This record gives sequence, structure tokens and C-alpha cells, in this order.
Amino acid sequence: MPKVDMDMAEGTIAKWHVSEGEKVARGDPLFDIETDKAAMEVEAPGEGTLHHVLAGEGDTVAIGSAVAFLYSEGEEVGDPPAGAKPAMGSEEPTGRRGETRSDTQPVQEEPAAPPDEKRKIEAGPRATPLARRLAREADLRLSDIPGTGPRGRIQGEDVREAVRATDMRASPDPEPKGRAGAQTGPPLVLIHGFLSDAQSWGPLEKAFGSGRPIHKLELPGHGRATRKPPADFSALVSHMRRGLDELNLEAMHLVGHSLGGAVALALADTRPRRVASLTLIAPAGLGPQIDGAALDGMLRATRAESLAPWLKRLVADPDRISWNYVQAVLAGRSDEDLRDAQRRMAETLFADGTQCFDLQAALGRVEMPTRIIWGRRDGIIPWSHALSAPGRVSLNLFDDLGHMPQIEAPEAVADLLAASVGLAP
Amino acid sequence: MNAAAGVRTREMSYAEAIRDAMDIALTEDERVVLMGEDIGVYGGAFQVTGDLVERHGPDRVIDTPISELGGAGVAVGAAMTGLRPILEFQFSDFATLAMEQIVNQAAKVRYMLGGAVSVPVVMRFPAGSGTGAAAQHSQSLEAWLGHVPGLKVVQPTTPEDAKGMLLAALDDPDPVMIFEHKLLYKLKGQVPEGRYTTPLDKAVVRRAGDAVTVVASGIMVHKALEAAGQLAEDGIEAEVIDLRSVRPIDRETILESVRKTGRLLCVYEAVKTLGIGAEISAMVAESDAFDFLDAPIVRLGGAECPIPYNPDLEKAAVPQIADILDAARALATGRR
Repeated sequence: MPKVDMDMAEGTIAKWHVSEGEKVARGDPLFDIETDKAAMEVEAPGEGTLHHVLAGEGDTVAIGSAVAFLYSEGEEVGDPPAGAKPAMGSEEPTGRRGETRSDTQPVQEEPAAPPDEKRKIEAGPRATPLARRLAREADLRLSDIPGTGPRGRIQGEDVREAVRATDMRASPDPEPKGRAGAQTGPPLVLIHGFLSDAQSWGPLEKAFGSGRPIHKLELPGHGRATRKPPADFSALVSHMRRGLDELNLEAMHLVGHSLGGAVALALADTRPRRVASLTLIAPAGLGPQIDGAALDGMLRATRAESLAPWLKRLVADPDRISWNYVQAVLAGRSDEDLRDAQRRMAETLFADGTQCFDLQAALGRVEMPTRIIWGRRDGIIPWSHALSAPGRVSLNLFDDLGHMPQIEAPEAVADLLAASVGLAP
Repeated sequence: MNAAAGVRTREMSYAEAIRDAMDIALTEDERVVLMGEDIGVYGGAFQVTGDLVERHGPDRVIDTPISELGGAGVAVGAAMTGLRPILEFQFSDFATLAMEQIVNQAAKVRYMLGGAVSVPVVMRFPAGSGTGAAAQHSQSLEAWLGHVPGLKVVQPTTPEDAKGMLLAALDDPDPVMIFEHKLLYKLKGQVPEGRYTTPLDKAVVRRAGDAVTVVASGIMVHKALEAAGQLAEDGIEAEVIDLRSVRPIDRETILESVRKTGRLLCVYEAVKTLGIGAEISAMVAESDAFDFLDAPIVRLGGAECPIPYNPDLEKAAVPQIADILDAARALATGRR
């Protein structure tokens, strides 16, 4: 199971393209994996014949586990190698098939289930696209949610009701990950950067733990936000301010990365009483320079080959960017409207490879505790922009990180964030 | 541009608004000519051209022989060689007779000649059922022409839009097909005075709501608004989008609304199968708005039959307010 996404711990096999005993050539599609972002085709790493399929369609498997074996010509096919049982993911698969194959015997019929029951299992719960999305976002299993729609269909409101019920229970997490807390302080509000989306906060959220509720805002033209690009930076800020106001928070800790950092700073400037602390990660808006070629390259890329060199620029250690990750990013950019909106945003916000908005004055004005986190090997925005910050702003500059500290070193960023929020490490 | 504050408006009917647009165009632009059967002294099959022949003379308001193919051919040729003809069909059904000129010539010439020539022709089609004119005079063929790249196809639904879209069509360098529902000709509304244009590629939200998106075209916009008004009495706020343009379709306005409501009802008078509703449904299903859908998409369209002559059957063959009301309510309350 290859790692196709930076914050991926396991993957679900959506479909096998090859069955037991079939021959494949190098590069042939072997199987599809489903991640939160996209469905990805995994190619055969070499020539051979497929045997011992250990993970079937719908199975969730930890990264690095064997899912099947390729035998080269002449090689004798024996028993499945010892210890080859794939490490199953912690979650029940919620895929269409919804069945978990727990034995390691290749090609074995499922235990005969009564026909009706079997059909029910294979069809999975009946749910609307909205309900599926809300359940995915809330980390709820559709099979646990009663559907009140026609023929028992789970509708959006059913999931919202389940989310409310879960919130009401407020049972402490039996396995507190990272920093546990009473969740009583102001929540965090996270704003991602240009060409990214809310999911990019995954590693930081994991490292930060459950100490505070977390809200993530998405920039227009990104993730699941509107595809209508803002006319200019101030229109972008107004749009995000509406999103922020809709959260109805009296107080929050505001965190922004890159363009999201510039937006966060502008929001803190106009909603100063509600922002308890401000954390800017490699923020835009503090100087004119930006790597326009990298932005242009990522916006234009239509192939993994042309996307990879630019993605590698985002991080200090280019080896972190795997080929499968590049393909996953490319698949995530298949929405034509998204690409179009982002292109138009780049044309106005970063015209001619220049940051066309200046928030240095805002940084001089904001009075809440403010922290700038930056990697000295940032290849997109020069870290030295941080040096224009006034004295009361804390600077945390890392020698061995690039433009994505929250992904490259989530633990370190989470520690700083915890300090800003006032949680014990 | 819609009627902005400070712009003087006058109440007129949909037909009068079209006549006003043609009067302005004939007065301002000597390249503009009107062509059609009985549009001169008789004033047009639906009295849309009215007295324009008296004001602008028979050289500018030209009666053509009873040959739709001939009339369309002359209009296309005149457009290619410098005039701005507006060709009126007596009934949109007769577009079938002129398909060669519309589909193979008007829509293609710019492409075939590498952009050296454009065809700025405007064709007006009285369309739709409800007048007891039976099967050969009551069809809604806008999706037929909407299927042809190279054409723009619009369905104005208010007097204001009818005037603004006709003037915009005359400004457009390419062929524009305007479908006017016959029952709308007598509809009255406030219309800005003088010249203004209405975009040919933008849908418009006629009523805002959050419970269900109703995308309607042509006369169905008015029926949908009526249904939405009744729904509001039950506390259900439907959002009604007037499609206005069949080609190009304004994707973003529709997707934006579906992302808000999660429910989509398409209402159109043309035969349901292979129609505008299929296109809009597929467009939504293919887009990111899919993940916001909270119910199956529903289409209400015309019955799979020729429009009947019998008045009761004629009504039954196209969606009515009660049909829209039932479908929208079932969608909005999670019963679909």
C-alpha cells in the first residue's frame, strides 16, 4: 500500500484491475485506492503474475503493507509468505462494498450468507451525496446513522442530527492523542494557503490533539468552497470575513498559512477583539517577492512530470514528495472550475510574480499575541520577510524546513501553537 | 444591465418591448433590417412588428415569401455581407424548414472560413404551447438549436429582458436565436427607456431561497415563481433561477445555488427526454456540487407526445403550477 498522500496512514482498495493468476507488464494499472482527496490508480512496479491477493476491494490497509505478490516468470508460486497478512486499518471500511475480508486465503468464496442479508451488505447504506460528505467530514460511519428519508435513505439532516448527538455525549476520547484538554477555551480557526485546502491541516491537527475545537475555513476556488474567484485581495478578505462571522465565535485562535496567513492577518486586523492569538505560518503579504515560476508551474501542470519539480520546491527535503503523492495532487486538481478559479486568483493576487497586497501595516497594528513560524529553506516566499515584524511579534525560524512547516514538522508547529493557545505541552 | 435606480422606465408588454428594441435598432443603425412573413402591413403573426413598417418603410421592414429556408438564406447572406438582419419566424416550429441555413450555414461559416466572416444574424421564434394551435404550431425546440455550437440560444422571460437581450443580440457578432413564448407577448412589466443590453449568457435568480433550487426556462419561470409563492406560505423558501440562456448555460449560478440548497428541480416545457433538464442535471452531477446534493435530482418536462389540440390535454402535456408545487415540496421536505 503506497503512501499517496502526505497525511495518509492507511488506504482503502476501491477496485482490483487484475485478478489472481493474471499477467501484468510494468506500468499496467493494478488497483485503485480511495483517499479523502481522490481515487488513485496504482501501477504495477514490474512485470509478473499476480498471486496471493491479501486485501480485497473495500479493505483498508496500513501503508507499507503487502496487498498482493507479483511473481516473475519461472518463479515458483508457493504459500503466501509468512507474516504477509496486511495490517488492517483501524476504521471499518465505509466503501461501497462495505465488506472486510479478514482471512488471508487467496480467492476464497465469502462464507455463504442468506441472500437478502448479503445483498444488503453489498449495497451499503443508502445515503445522499451530502450525507456521505458530512459523515466523512465528521468521521462518522454511515452504517451507524439511522436514515429518515424515502426507503431509509440517510439525508444530510440525519447526519447533522448524529453529529449533534455525538457532540452532546461529549465523552472523553478514550485514547487521547497528543494534547488532551477540556475543550473549554476558544477554538482554533485554520486558513490554508494558495493551491491547498482544508485537508492539508491533517498532520497538524493530529499532532495538536483534541485540546481545542478546530474550525477550518477554505479559500474561494479551493477545496469545497465556491468556485467564484474573488476580484482582488480585499474581496478575498471580505469573503473570508463572512465565513468567519458565520462561525459565530466570540473568541478564537487564528492560524493561517501562506496566502491564508495574509488573510488571517487581515481578519485579525478588522476583528481584533475576537482574535485571542494569531499564528502566521510562512505568511504572504509581508513583502513583494514570491516564486512566481513555482506558482505558474503548479497552476499550469497537466502531467505528474511537470508538477513534481514544483511540489518539491514546497519542502526542504524533496524526498518527502513521492511520485504517488504527485499523482494524487494532480488528481485533486482535475476539477476544471477549481483550476480556472485559482488561475484567475493568481492573476490578480500574484500578478507578474509579485505579491500585490501589503499587510506590513496591519502587522504593525495588531495587538493580540502574534507568532510567525517560518522555515529558512522556504523556496516560495523569502523567510526574511518575517524580519519586518515589530518587536512584540514572536519569530520561530527553523533551519531545516521549507514553505510547509505544518506538514514538514507538525509536532514542532503544534508545540508552538499549544504555547500560543495556553495549553500545557 | 438591469434597470438601475434613476433610469426611467415605462410599463409595456413583452411584445411592445421587443418592438421598442427593434425601433431603437432601426433608428440608430442603418444596417438593421427586419425580415419575415407578414411582418409589414399585417404587423406580424403575433403583432410584434406592429406599425414599424410605417415608421421605417418597406426597405427596412421586409415581407418575405412563404419560404422559411429562402428567408433564412437571405438573412444569413445579408448578415455575412454587412447587414444586421432580424428574421422573424411565424412559429418556431417552422425552424425545421430552415435548418440547413441555421445549422449548416449560420452556425458554421465563421469556422469554415477561418474567422474571416461572421454571421451577425438574429432570429426570433414565437414558441411554446397554450394557444390551441396544436401539434405543428406549439413546440418548444430551443434545445434542438442549443445543441449546435456556433449559435447562441436565449429565452427571455420578462419585457425588460426581451428588449435588452434583443439589443444585445444585435451587438453580438454571431448568430443569436431568441425563443419568445407566445403566451408571454401580453405580459406587462416595467421596461427601461432607451438603449440598454442584457447579457446573453447569464441566468438570474428571480427569487432567493434555501430549501430547493428550481431552474426554470421560458414561461416555466413564471409558473415556478407562482409555485414558490405558495410554498412560502408553508414556510418553504424555494430559489427560482431563470435560465435565460440555453447556450451557453450559466453553470456557476446554478451550481452556487445547488451548493446552498442541496436539492434541484428542473422545469421546462420542451419534451422531457434529452432536454435542457438532462443537461443541467448532468452538469450538476459532474461538478463538485454533487457532494451537496441531498436528494435525487428531479426533472419536470413536457409529455412524450405531440402537443394535443384538446385544451385539457394540451395543459396536461406540459408542467403546470400544481406539478411544480408537488415536486418542489416533496424535494424540500425530504420526501423524494
